[in-house]
Amino acid sequence: MADPSHDPTGGDDGGGGDDDGGADFGADELVMLRQFFRDEAHEALETVTARALAAADGVLAPDAVTEMMRVTHTLKGSAGTVGLRSVVDLAHRFESALSGLRAGQISWTPAVADLVVEIADGVRSHVDATDAHAAAAIAEKVRRLCGLLAEAPGPGAPQFADGELDRTTEMPLRRPRIGTDSGVVQAVADEAHRTSTTMRVPVPAAGDGSAAHDARSVLRVDAERVDDLMAAAGELLFDRTRIERRVQQLRTLARDLGRTRQTLRDDVTRLRGADSPEARGALELRLGAVEAGLAEQATQLAQATAALLDDTEALRRTIASLQKGLTRVRMQTARALFTNLARSLRAVARTAGARVELRTAGDDTEFDKAVAEQVTDPLVQILRNAVVHGIEPPEERARRGKSPVGTVSLAARQEGNLVVIEVSDDGRGIDTGKLRQRFVDAGQWTASKARLASDADVLAALFDAGVSSRDEADELSGRGIGLDLVRETIARLGGEITVTSLAGRGTTFMLRLPVSTAVSHAMLFKVGGQVYAIPNVHVERTVAVEGDATSLPLDGPDGEPVPLVALPQVLATPAAPPAAAEKRTALVLGYAGKVLAVTVDKVIGPREIVVRPLGALLSPLPLFAGATVSASGKVQLILDVAHLARLAHPGAGDDGATIASMEPRQLAGRVLVVDDSRAIREALTTMLAREGWIVDVADDGSRAWQMAQQLRYDLLVTDLEMPRMTGFELIERVRGDDGLAATPVIVITSRTSPENRRRARELGVRSMVAKPVTRRKLLEALPPDRA
Amino acid sequence: MPELHNVIVFALAGARYAAELRWVREVITLGFVTEVPTAPAGLAGIFNLRGTIVPVIDLPALLGIGPPATPRQGDGALLLEADHAVAALRVDTIDEVGTLPVGTSPGTVIDARGRMVVIADPPALLRRAAAAAWAVRGIPPPDDDGLAPWGADGDGGGAGGGLG
Repeated sequence: MADPSHDPTGGDDGGGGDDDGGADFGADELVMLRQFFRDEAHEALETVTARALAAADGVLAPDAVTEMMRVTHTLKGSAGTVGLRSVVDLAHRFESALSGLRAGQISWTPAVADLVVEIADGVRSHVDATDAHAAAAIAEKVRRLCGLLAEAPGPGAPQFADGELDRTTEMPLRRPRIGTDSGVVQAVADEAHRTSTTMRVPVPAAGDGSAAHDARSVLRVDAERVDDLMAAAGELLFDRTRIERRVQQLRTLARDLGRTRQTLRDDVTRLRGADSPEARGALELRLGAVEAGLAEQATQLAQATAALLDDTEALRRTIASLQKGLTRVRMQTARALFTNLARSLRAVARTAGARVELRTAGDDTEFDKAVAEQVTDPLVQILRNAVVHGIEPPEERARRGKSPVGTVSLAARQEGNLVVIEVSDDGRGIDTGKLRQRFVDAGQWTASKARLASDADVLAALFDAGVSSRDEADELSGRGIGLDLVRETIARLGGEITVTSLAGRGTTFMLRLPVSTAVSHAMLFKVGGQVYAIPNVHVERTVAVEGDATSLPLDGPDGEPVPLVALPQVLATPAAPPAAAEKRTALVLGYAGKVLAVTVDKVIGPREIVVRPLGALLSPLPLFAGATVSASGKVQLILDVAHLARLAHPGAGDDGATIASMEPRQLAGRVLVVDDSRAIREALTTMLAREGWIVDVADDGSRAWQMAQQLRYDLLVTDLEMPRMTGFELIERVRGDDGLAATPVIVITSRTSPENRRRARELGVRSMVAKPVTRRKLLEALPPDRA
Repeated sequence: MPELHNVIVFALAGARYAAELRWVREVITLGFVTEVPTAPAGLAGIFNLRGTIVPVIDLPALLGIGPPATPRQGDGALLLEADHAVAALRVDTIDEVGTLPVGTSPGTVIDARGRMVVIADPPALLRRAAAAAWAVRGIPPPDDDGLAPWGADGDGGGAGGGLG
């Protein structure tokens, strides 16, 4: 697929190679605009397709024609704006042909519906085409199709036979493949929230599903969902601030304790050397004070620890809501997937000459965009099987007393955290007796196995590689992916597929899929006969090492040895002790600025994996970050690189750098911050903690007053306008209290009126800081001996 | 009279056990079991159950009353769920579903045919398994302050006095 932003030449390789420069725009702007144009074009053409398919076997409502013409017209205008003349031309022809429909000059027949869908597909292929030659060829075909549409018969005229039309309108159908097919992906994405208020969120290419590598993969998301995420992300900042503050508090307490211990030791030494009873008496008094100090510090330590636990819990909740929000962002309804499948089904039915009607249910079922993308190809394959193998020819159906038109149903529903998609046909079903014989004939099964196997076993064996229920690969089902690949794809998503069938009545495939999935890239390797994974972002390279090496020489960032962790030892189990080896392969890993290497038995290679949690029982194990399920359904463990880094660099703190940078310059004292705005409380707390203050907060004057009476503060920082008790009321009370009167006070306010200044001066306020508070303003306001 | 509860009776390593049905989500056969290095005795591996990673409990090893077993694909198991924790309890055979006076004397009851049945208390077993996993990390399991991955409250004492 064309991606202008990746095109080093900057030339226009999309839209058929016609480029009149879009003189109004710079090259970068044009690239961006054309990207937007593509999205828009996909959306417009999807609308046309959906309208045409909805009316395919019935009556085309006048408003549907109007809608198709409207979006085509808009497309023409947009294409002109971004300088894609050939698209302008195609859109114009399409629109003109459609006008014949509206005017009643063309009758709406299934053949015409096909033509409209094909033109829409063709225009889209043209917009997406990567090389000018192909684009020109497609444009030529679209022009021909538009001509055919314009000349399609009107009322009373003899109609095309289906076959005749097929021959004349043959064009390359875009066959879905395993892997990235952004046309399909785009269609799905665009369809997702077409009718809702939307905004565009570009998906970063890194660390996402395969489809997201294409920069054109775009998620359309309800603005409200993004707002929720923003709120959660904001909350995360607060959580961080709070936890930093607690760490700060604990460090200060540790320092206090150190000092107390020093005092204690000095006093004990003096006590030993003291000879006079007076001296001893005085020292004992001092020791009593030290003990009281210790008691207070112990209380503070307990409080700070409890608060830290609260903060951690808050962080856990925030992260959970963030995860949930992100999942919701990626959610889309089944409708988009179904529209996409409807088109594929029509194409297959047309080629196979079958008459098939599609019914859908549960269109509003939501699931992850990544899941939808990855099940599209398997579902297309199942639909093909249904049309080619399942639905009988009309005469055979008539003999069986069935309607001449076959029915294929797509139904989606949610069951717990699974999405269930059922694909049913009312065709001939699968004859398990014949299938048994076929397995035996093909040498896949022994006769006794075939005799003993239940019908369910026989049907399940359809998913085994190499099994085809027809002898020869036919044009439709023999290509692309077979049922073994279908199962593999579903398994990789963490889902499963089952099939049930009633001979003569039909076949149902049931897919059970996770609602959500996060695809990430991992390096897979073998240790002790099992496969493990490490997130690929941490893997720098692989090297060969001696079997007994404990480090890699001179390979670190500053030429120092890189420590080596022997995974065969770490991952040894009683059942699988480490095997000796002369040479091993090592993966060099980077984590949080540290370099380490781990030895493995065998490197398998990079893969895309779906990360799954280990569950409540095993998630405490520090060595693992989760698990993934292989294509064959086996669980593979994902190693936690943070833990490996700790094994390799014992003693180094996880985030030593962070804590070091928070080192207070000196212990400044205890401050009470009073403000009804949480953001300001948090901001002040961070700034003051950096300066070595132990910070307590209160959200209004009355709460602050209570706190001030319980604990002595070296500084009071207060807002003026607050509920219940204002800042001035608080300061008045503080000044009126013998014990607190001398406390220095700083006022933070957005109202630095002369009246407020005068009153503050009268109350002995040290200084007033105007909001917004900056670190510099605050430092200037702090008492000089403490700042 | 002791209260009768619906139980599922199963055989494992030569003994008969009963677990209250309300903790048993389904009877399953194990998929391919992946070993988990560093896992405590009693947690004998993990497997993929319809996209969910489920640990396998080896009851004798978890209780310290028997040698560790290696569960294999195709083994029978009870899928237990309590307090949001899920695990598959490997069994040799399922004997019957019936009623037993659970919760009277700790440990064992005698069934209608006079045979001894050990009462397995799934919530307690799951808690014990979780505690064993936390012990690997060198810290006790978080108590009910909300940090626990699964609450320690719940009605875990259901079959009180059972094994676990």
